Amino acid sequence: MIQLEGIRKSFGKQQVLGGINLTVQKGEVVVILGPSGSGKTTLLRCINYLERPDQGVIQIGNQKLEGKHPGRSEIHRLRQRTAMVFQQYNLFKHKTALENVMEGLTIVRGVPRDTAAEIGIEMLEKVGLGDRLHYYPSQLSGGQQQRVGIARALALNPEVILFDEPTSALDPELVGEVLEVIRRIAEEGITMIIVTHEMGFARDVASRVVFMDGGAIIEQGTPDDIFQRPREERTRQFLRRITPEANYSI
Amino acid sequence: MSRRFDIHYVLDFIPKLLAYLNITLLIVGSSIALGLLIGLLVALPRLYNVPGLQRLSRIYVSFFRGTPILIQLFLVYYGLPEILGWLHIDVSRIAVLYFVILTYALNSGAFISEMIRAAVEAVDKGQVEAAQSIGMSGYQTFRRIILPQALGISVPLFGNLVIGNLKDTSLAFTLGVMEMTGRSQTLGTATQHFIETYIALSLIYFVISVLLERAFVWLERYLNQYAGKEQTSRQQRMAKRWQARLIPISDRGGKQG
Ligand SMILES: Nc1ncnc2c1ncn2[C@@H]1O[C@H](COP(=O)(O)OP(=O)(O)OP(=O)(O)O)[C@@H](O)[C@H]1O
Ligand SMILES: [Mg+2]
Repeated sequence: MIQLEGIRKSFGKQQVLGGINLTVQKGEVVVILGPSGSGKTTLLRCINYLERPDQGVIQIGNQKLEGKHPGRSEIHRLRQRTAMVFQQYNLFKHKTALENVMEGLTIVRGVPRDTAAEIGIEMLEKVGLGDRLHYYPSQLSGGQQQRVGIARALALNPEVILFDEPTSALDPELVGEVLEVIRRIAEEGITMIIVTHEMGFARDVASRVVFMDGGAIIEQGTPDDIFQRPREERTRQFLRRITPEANYSI
Repeated sequence: MSRRFDIHYVLDFIPKLLAYLNITLLIVGSSIALGLLIGLLVALPRLYNVPGLQRLSRIYVSFFRGTPILIQLFLVYYGLPEILGWLHIDVSRIAVLYFVILTYALNSGAFISEMIRAAVEAVDKGQVEAAQSIGMSGYQTFRRIILPQALGISVPLFGNLVIGNLKDTSLAFTLGVMEMTGRSQTLGTATQHFIETYIALSLIYFVISVLLERAFVWLERYLNQYAGKEQTSRQQRMAKRWQARLIPISDRGGKQG
């Protein structure tokens, strides 16, 4: 279980997160929607302390971190419970697909190389890249690179995987293959928090949708609640802007 | 004045000059090695934004980049003993060669620190975050993610630097060091065939520079294999190795799929 309490974050004078409370149950797939600049990325990055929140409590499983100054080893332990899939993939460019997936296992977890390779191959097969094990990122398409990114996250068997707009850097024709992979692993019961602008996908995959604006959670509920019966005016406005009419009225 | 041009002198001088190649290479090799150490130390405060030291390293770099190496040679050779003299350290027995090596080390250290900084900053920050997000420590991230890529990025710069350093060592003769250029002066004086010594000398520098250039191009390709578009030999080797070791596993993968 993941619990965020009163997460606040400012950059200089600009407040980006104004006290976020969010609980995510094991196995839930939470999709975060919201306009650009609403703080979605910042929130995800606070969860694994890539960004230090100014205030608030983050609890993952039985580990609790508070505010700005947890020690290095605490942050290190927290990061072992989480994994992140980045918009720009952020693969290690000098390592092959398999090495990318093995890196965290061998270096951070101390898993022996053979075992790590087994796990790596299994994960790459799971994302449909069993035939690309020894390719470097430069030799893979964007969609394939992102699937390696997903395999790298999966391999660590984290308590939650954080996705930050995993398909928005992709050519339109490659979006489908990546969403399909995420959808499949969602069905395996892995806890996920996903920031995306893909509304159809959000509706499909989410067990809960959270709408953020101006650094606050405006409303949350099931996909049906949010997409069919949004209560807040700001949510309605956002959905009108982002969803084509036909899609919206289904 | 000097005698008529005679090609035989060129051929005669080449081996005589080559006898002093080891001194030239000693200056290049040891000053670059020392320069790497200095460069790393000087780059660190700027990479990690250490307040006071950062400023100091910036002054050091701009001084050694902004003044002629000939002047630096004189400053170190004549100035350093003066300063150390105030501290009652007597360096008058230390051979000129060491002052020369020190100067070239300080000089290349300045350029190397800039090179290191540029190369490290060229590695994309996203990869650093990815490494952190999977729980790698700062040191692990530097050692396994930044360093290998920064090395590949810096090779062409480093190659230019070493070749430049090689050519600059020809100035050491102004302090009376007997390296190749110094030797060419004495040969010229003894035979009055100056042009021939300069031709022999430039042939030698040229060949060494070309060889170094080749070596660095090769090294660059080797270190940057991952950036290529084709399957590389390293990759094929790796694929074979994994196949040999992991056949039962891919079978298992087949079962599950
Ligand atoms: N490192 C930073 N320094 C200063 N300001 C920042 C930084 N990161 C984010 N911000 C600001 O914080 C606000 C929220 O940014 P954030 O990236 O979290 O938004 P977002 O909801 O992810 O937007 P998008 O949909 O465009 O990705 C923005 O106004 C942004 O300019
Ligand atoms: Mg964002």
